[in-house]
Amino acid sequence: MASLRNRAFRFSAVFCLCVSATLLTLTPSALAAEAGAIPRTADGHPDFNGLWQALGNNHWGVEPHNARFGPDYKWAATGAFPAGLGVVVGGQIPYTPAARTKQRENQANWLSEDPVVKCYMPGVPRANYMPFPFQIVQSPEHIVMAYEFSSASRIVYLNRPDFTAPIPSWMGHSLGRWEGDTLVIDVTEQMPDSWLDRSGNHHTEQLKVTERYTFRSPDVIAYEARLEDPGVYTRPWSMKMPLYRRLEENAQLLEFKCVEFTEELLYGHLVKGADVDQD
Amino acid sequence: MDISSKEQTSIRTSSVRRGQAKQRAQEHEEIFMQINPSRRHHKPFIALVLLLSASGLNAQSDFEVPRTINGQPDLQGVWANNSTTPLQRPEFFADRATLTEDEYQRLLARAAEIEAGGGDALFGDGFLNAVITGEVESYDPSTGNYDQSWMASRNIERRTSLIVDPPNGRLPAMLSEARERISTEALIRRENPSDSYLSRPLQERCITYGMPYMLAGYNSYYQIVQSATHVAIIQEMIHDVRLIPLDGGAHVDANIRLWHGDSRGHFEGDTLVIETRNFSDDSVFMGAKGNRLFSERFTRTADDVLRYEFTIDDEQTWERPWTAVINYTHSEDPIYEYACHEGNYALEGILSGARAEERRAAE
Repeated sequence: MASLRNRAFRFSAVFCLCVSATLLTLTPSALAAEAGAIPRTADGHPDFNGLWQALGNNHWGVEPHNARFGPDYKWAATGAFPAGLGVVVGGQIPYTPAARTKQRENQANWLSEDPVVKCYMPGVPRANYMPFPFQIVQSPEHIVMAYEFSSASRIVYLNRPDFTAPIPSWMGHSLGRWEGDTLVIDVTEQMPDSWLDRSGNHHTEQLKVTERYTFRSPDVIAYEARLEDPGVYTRPWSMKMPLYRRLEENAQLLEFKCVEFTEELLYGHLVKGADVDQD
Repeated sequence: MDISSKEQTSIRTSSVRRGQAKQRAQEHEEIFMQINPSRRHHKPFIALVLLLSASGLNAQSDFEVPRTINGQPDLQGVWANNSTTPLQRPEFFADRATLTEDEYQRLLARAAEIEAGGGDALFGDGFLNAVITGEVESYDPSTGNYDQSWMASRNIERRTSLIVDPPNGRLPAMLSEARERISTEALIRRENPSDSYLSRPLQERCITYGMPYMLAGYNSYYQIVQSATHVAIIQEMIHDVRLIPLDGGAHVDANIRLWHGDSRGHFEGDTLVIETRNFSDDSVFMGAKGNRLFSERFTRTADDVLRYEFTIDDEQTWERPWTAVINYTHSEDPIYEYACHEGNYALEGILSGARAEERRAAE
């Protein structure tokens, strides 16, 4: 009996070890494991090559928001803002009081103040959830993210932690690395002018974004961005959302060179014969 | 927006110089185009900084093209288009496609003299003309000039024209209807240069420098990144990324028209072959129209040279197709973000200047 019990104990011990081993391997990349087989490149890393797009209404506002009137009644229902549950973990962005006041001012003056209305490059993370797709082209050393909106793009430099940004830029300086099956990108040196959405959420030049890309199934990336900016936030905060693969057979990035759609707004008052008193 | 104060001091001097160069380019290029927009396509800046990358000029006979992780010819890297060779062969050279050694040495010596003279900037054909005639012609003797510090390095090649076909190195004859079309457009631009933003060139509006952005100048840098299914060609000038699918799929519907066309690619041996169509009629390239067919061939001919050949076939514009070859040279520098539109104060300045002139004239 003793020996039987012993064997039973040993069996349970072995069984437990196996289970915990399985759990251990699951834990660091639980999402990927849940996904089963994910696409992988020839060097074994997750293969994010493809056309991706966020769904939902995060580009209208990353915080929870109601539907509201748009800026021009002529657009009526097609120009109104849809509601959204928000993607900020914990609900609200932890602004300093002054920064929250600034956000409300931005929101009140959205149409004239939002850099994206003027076709300025959206910055990161906003570029990832604009209502336009973006293409990832991935090699072992670089990951190109090419965005349809305003032909914006960024080059993610993999495993080059000492490569400092040559200059501040609208799309920032992206340094990437692999943590297991998660692509982690630190984005720094962004221009302070970009916003996070059409609700006036903002940052300063101190913004540091840490992005995490993990497959949760072969066609869905769990995307997380942690934003740290002592200039306006009281503590770091995160947003989370899925990025979906565009599955149309002929899916491809098209052009949205939005400059042409903003010129009348920006320069119309300087055109010959324009009403000079309008402003 | 104070970029210069934030520049990192740890990066290489050349990068800093190029970074500053780009900022200045953004600030000043509109001025240049205002001065002489018609020269934009034909006479870009050439740096007066010599970079004689001799290995870049001849193919290495024992060179084996490296392979990517996916087994494709590896074209990846940052590539510079800084050749001094003009698009069309100057008549001086008649049928000769290359310089003699003696001529080449004189070219180098003369280039060094011009550089040491510290004179005005010279543009594509202007450089070679200055060498041939011994006279430096300023593009802008009245209002001052770009200095040399912000210009890119250049490669001095033995070739006398980028065009390799027709064999005389010159553009084929233009069809008469194309000549009419182009002169009408030019007349409208000349008579109403600043009535509207629409009167200004696409480059000045920060929409596009065309595809391909052909001539050596500033920001004429590209980065190629390859995956198993796509080639990405990042064009620094006004930030564009061309995405070339390799899967052999059909082109987009004929009703979809694009500034840079719709590209499909495949490898033939060591060469990346790209066919592009579906251009928009507004996408200007040397007067060509939207129905043009554009073929490209990228081949690495040495460790630091990417041979770029393109053929343009436009039955509405030229009597026959023509082909040019540009040798891109490898660059150690990264691609910079060229935020053109975001800092386009010059377009506002040009238009408000024109309105101010009109008001003054009316007084």
